Amino acid sequence: MTEHVTYEYSPGAGAEELLAQHQDDPIHGETMRLNMGPQHPATHGVLRLMLELDGETMRSVTPDVGYLHRGKEKTCETLGWHRFFPHTDRLDYVQPLMNNVAYALAVEQLAGIEAPPRAQVVRVLLMELSRIMAHLIYFGTLGIDLGAVTLFFYSFNQREELYRILDAYTGHRMNNTYVRIGGVYADIDEGIESMIRSFLDEFPGHLEEMNKMVERNRIWIDRNRGVGVITAEEAQALSLTGPNLRGSGVEWDLRREQPYCGYETYEFDVPTGSVGDCYDRFLVRVEEMRQSARIARQALDRLKDVKGDVLLEDRRFVLPPRGDVHRSMEELIYQFKIVTDLRVPRGEAYHAVESSKGELGFYVVSDGSSRPVRCHIRAPGLMNVQAIPHVAGGRLFSDMVAIIGSLDFVMGEVDR
Amino acid sequence: MVVVERKELTLAERLYLPEIFRGMAITFRKLFAKRVTRQYPEEPLPTTEVTRGQPRLVVNDDGNIACVSCGLCEAACPAYAITIDGHETDRTIEREPERFDIDMLRCILCGFCEEACPKDAIFMSDELELADYTRQALVYNIERLKRPKSALQARIDYVYRLNDRWQSSSSTS
Repeated sequence: MTEHVTYEYSPGAGAEELLAQHQDDPIHGETMRLNMGPQHPATHGVLRLMLELDGETMRSVTPDVGYLHRGKEKTCETLGWHRFFPHTDRLDYVQPLMNNVAYALAVEQLAGIEAPPRAQVVRVLLMELSRIMAHLIYFGTLGIDLGAVTLFFYSFNQREELYRILDAYTGHRMNNTYVRIGGVYADIDEGIESMIRSFLDEFPGHLEEMNKMVERNRIWIDRNRGVGVITAEEAQALSLTGPNLRGSGVEWDLRREQPYCGYETYEFDVPTGSVGDCYDRFLVRVEEMRQSARIARQALDRLKDVKGDVLLEDRRFVLPPRGDVHRSMEELIYQFKIVTDLRVPRGEAYHAVESSKGELGFYVVSDGSSRPVRCHIRAPGLMNVQAIPHVAGGRLFSDMVAIIGSLDFVMGEVDR
Repeated sequence: MVVVERKELTLAERLYLPEIFRGMAITFRKLFAKRVTRQYPEEPLPTTEVTRGQPRLVVNDDGNIACVSCGLCEAACPAYAITIDGHETDRTIEREPERFDIDMLRCILCGFCEEACPKDAIFMSDELELADYTRQALVYNIERLKRPKSALQARIDYVYRLNDRWQSSSSTS
């Protein structure tokens, strides 16, 4: 039997005052332990939270993760470099292409190669569309958690448009697996380009409409403002990244600080909050969607000028052209070698991208064989779960759903 | 650094009643918007040559299976869904599969088998629906996987077009 380890967390700032307000409550002082999850719709997957309740006030919160553990890191060690791609889709399954790119960049860094210019533009485009997809999920699910069910339908309607684009481009709606070591599998042709363009033309209007329903809505503000405050110091101490860190007022965006895929050449703003509550994180994410649409538009314009292949010509990592495999013995040998025995030089590499949840990094170690010795996934969602006890202590139980929704994690990535 | 604006509410917004009507106006307008719901089993999503459905084996026009059971798709499969046993034949192409099973319950439709195949023998079809009463019935054997080449031709052409890369460079052949 495994022994459960319980952690003691100190209640967050302002908890004592909040608890003091309930002094005259007859049952004050008696606490009740309540399990929230693992099968609770508001915990966004299979997160289990052990709450210690004093009336409706939470004295402490202990998250219990691991219910969706599938051993992805270990799987990578047995599958090999190329075959791991479909498994990265299933980490943060609301933005599969972002995970693909993050893993590809780590392996490329280790192999010392770089994707061709056009592939980099396509990757930026796909990553920004993924970010919009993930933030739309956040928008809709935070809405449904706080009782604004209409919002869920509007945001998922927009997400459906993106699904259609990805279906036309990759052939799958989810779990796309379209990024390869050394580029992306297929080029974006004119048809897909015009689909994305018309989406980007429509999207800001729809976003404003959704935003108008909640941004200045009193109920939304009462539920979000001042709830789940994380100060800048706390956020850094908890190693939060992404919108959660920026919501607390720290300007840190890997697209700016450690540019990859040519992000330094795109124009965009990094929105930050000032207070660090749920409302700030909400505003930051809405602004990020606008900025993502802006970057995606620039990438689309760039596709016109940047021509060429989307896969690197390197017969160590990339399969040869299909027709040549039939004609040439040499290429046939490469085909066999790459599929069965794709080798990456000895060494270790860490590459992180700014995913919609924060810093998504892959740390890969190779001993020069066709299988990684170690693959560690730095999943931002895990750090976001870590922040729950620090912000939830002393708050009302009903604030919990707002906190969970605003911290925005996907259990597929947390438990991996 | 762009700090997001936290505006204070106006009196009308704090009263909330006018805001309810403003919100209702948005939802009311949706009554006349284009309908987006799709009645799925009656109205399936259109499939094209891009659709990556379940993998199928190509049967050439002469009636012989294109597969030579080299095992590359088995090696490329990230879900361990493919099992192949090969044997020799008297034809010019000396090998063919004796057993070719794809466990459709394991298959994740990633298309790596199609990418790996050096003999154009396995392609992703547009067949997507998968339901049966037993698990065993969903382990497809070679007979259930065979499709005439004409049925997969659109996908074959599409995959050739996708993999037509590096034209600027000199070929080794």
